[in-house]
Amino acid sequence: MTDARAAARAAAGRISDAERRGTAAFLAWSEGALLEQAEALVRSGATGDLAGEVVAVKDVIADRQFPTTCGSRILEGYHSPFEATVVRRLREAGALIAGKTNCDEFAMGSSTEHSAYGPSRNPVDPTRVPGGSSGGSAAAVASGAVDMALGTETGGSVRQPAAFCGIVGIKPTYGRVSRYGLVAFGSSLDQVAPFGKDVRSAARLLAAISGRDDLDATTLDRVPLSADALAGPDAAPRSLRGSVIGVPREYFPDGLAPGVRAACETAVATLRGLGAEIRDVSLPHSRYAIPTYYIVAPAEASSNLARYDGVRYGPRLADHPADVRELYRVTRGRGFGPEVRRRILLGTYVLSAGYYDAYYRQAQRARALIRRDFADAFASGVDALFTPTTPTTAFKFGEHLADPIAMYLSDVFVCTANLAGVPALSLPIGRSEGLPVGGQLIGAMEAEATIIRIALALEAATDARAEVR
Amino acid sequence: MGVAKGADGAGGGEAARVTRQDIRRIAELAELAVDEATARELEGQLSRILDYVAQLQELPRDGAPEPDEPAVRLRRDEVRPDPLLVPPDAFAPALRQGLFLVPRLAELAGGASDE
Repeated sequence: MTDARAAARAAAGRISDAERRGTAAFLAWSEGALLEQAEALVRSGATGDLAGEVVAVKDVIADRQFPTTCGSRILEGYHSPFEATVVRRLREAGALIAGKTNCDEFAMGSSTEHSAYGPSRNPVDPTRVPGGSSGGSAAAVASGAVDMALGTETGGSVRQPAAFCGIVGIKPTYGRVSRYGLVAFGSSLDQVAPFGKDVRSAARLLAAISGRDDLDATTLDRVPLSADALAGPDAAPRSLRGSVIGVPREYFPDGLAPGVRAACETAVATLRGLGAEIRDVSLPHSRYAIPTYYIVAPAEASSNLARYDGVRYGPRLADHPADVRELYRVTRGRGFGPEVRRRILLGTYVLSAGYYDAYYRQAQRARALIRRDFADAFASGVDALFTPTTPTTAFKFGEHLADPIAMYLSDVFVCTANLAGVPALSLPIGRSEGLPVGGQLIGAMEAEATIIRIALALEAATDARAEVR
Repeated sequence: MGVAKGADGAGGGEAARVTRQDIRRIAELAELAVDEATARELEGQLSRILDYVAQLQELPRDGAPEPDEPAVRLRRDEVRPDPLLVPPDAFAPALRQGLFLVPRLAELAGGASDE
């Protein structure tokens, strides 16, 4: 077991250094809280898979120790009266919660620029975004402040920042991890998802939070994943002989950044060198993923975010409302930032009379086709799919802020897995002009162990800090 | 390629264009105050996003798997209070604008109500 007191002190020092450098990964953290948790852990003598590990938690996950603001003014200073199942499981596993990390408001965004509390910076290059929406958690890990952090995914919000920051992020199968205490955005898509400094760290964190939860009826009726089986000392295979890895051609479009393409080609050659059979496959409906996502997710958000009205949660932002509806409207108008407002209105529009069939119902059809593409690929004997995680490396602040669609397109390769419900991960596979490039492995439903096994082998055979040629 | 638009189904075949009136209507449904400058900006942004997502109209409506959706009875687009079997003013000791008035927590002993 890690010496919990020493681990807490060391982590506090590293967080403090990173924040002083301007990473702005955390919205709330406290050295005192870390040391108290360490003391309590040592006194209890408890042991667990994560005993003494320091974990940062994205601020859309409810926790009793710190406020839960979702990066929004509308929840400024809000303290949850209960904690999320994932936080409870982390504490039971002996982890120390470092604090709450910055994110795009209500997890809507791809850069943290939509946080009401200002953006986080990419530790690799502070002039660039860390990605989003879980950019604070990614920056906390990439800065070296913590080895593990929780983020959340609705449309790629862990894998995209993992790629931008040069770390590992795993999106579990929908239902693998409880959503109880995760502030809802798009309930049919949302999943809590772990970051790690390497594949093993992320896999251990996934194991600790996984498994059925009576408080979330959408969890799969499965026992928790085993950390030893996923990422124990013998988990990394020396060879991938017998594995079939599909490379979907739709994920290598003409506009792919040359450095990203080169890194992916190197990674595919490495996988082949490890003995895997590489197979060309097609996922023809993936091209509809972004339009599908930007109907389904805002539609669900417009309903989920109806509860923030200045009465039930957070501050009232109307000074002298004439009546209760004005209180709602003014609080919501002032409390939500531009991207959240845009998505609530878009969601309301696509669900409204006369538009439902043309937009929402058609998006549900497209989603079913996207899901079927994945099922067909895996049924044909492919064990995992390999793709770039993002079309480019981390972009500069402000680059996509004025153009919502350009921002949305940074998630073009990641949001398909959310729509299909399948597990996927991103790991660093090299650098282009000094910036990390992420490679994505996508698995069949519930096949986290398969993609983690392949990722461990690829990670061991890759110099992720090497410049691609 | 376009999107059929309008509650009456009129205008099918043209690209979606969100009007100021649409913004006012959906802002009302979403209980969201939107000032004029923001409404103007949203008109352009939502139109562009809807133009972009309109590519889904290329997909066939027949033959594609149907979403797992039983026959959903859609309610009308209107803002109204949640209906109760008995109207609240029939049983509430104190009511204002449809809301129950309750004592302030800190003043429970004194029995003051939150006005």
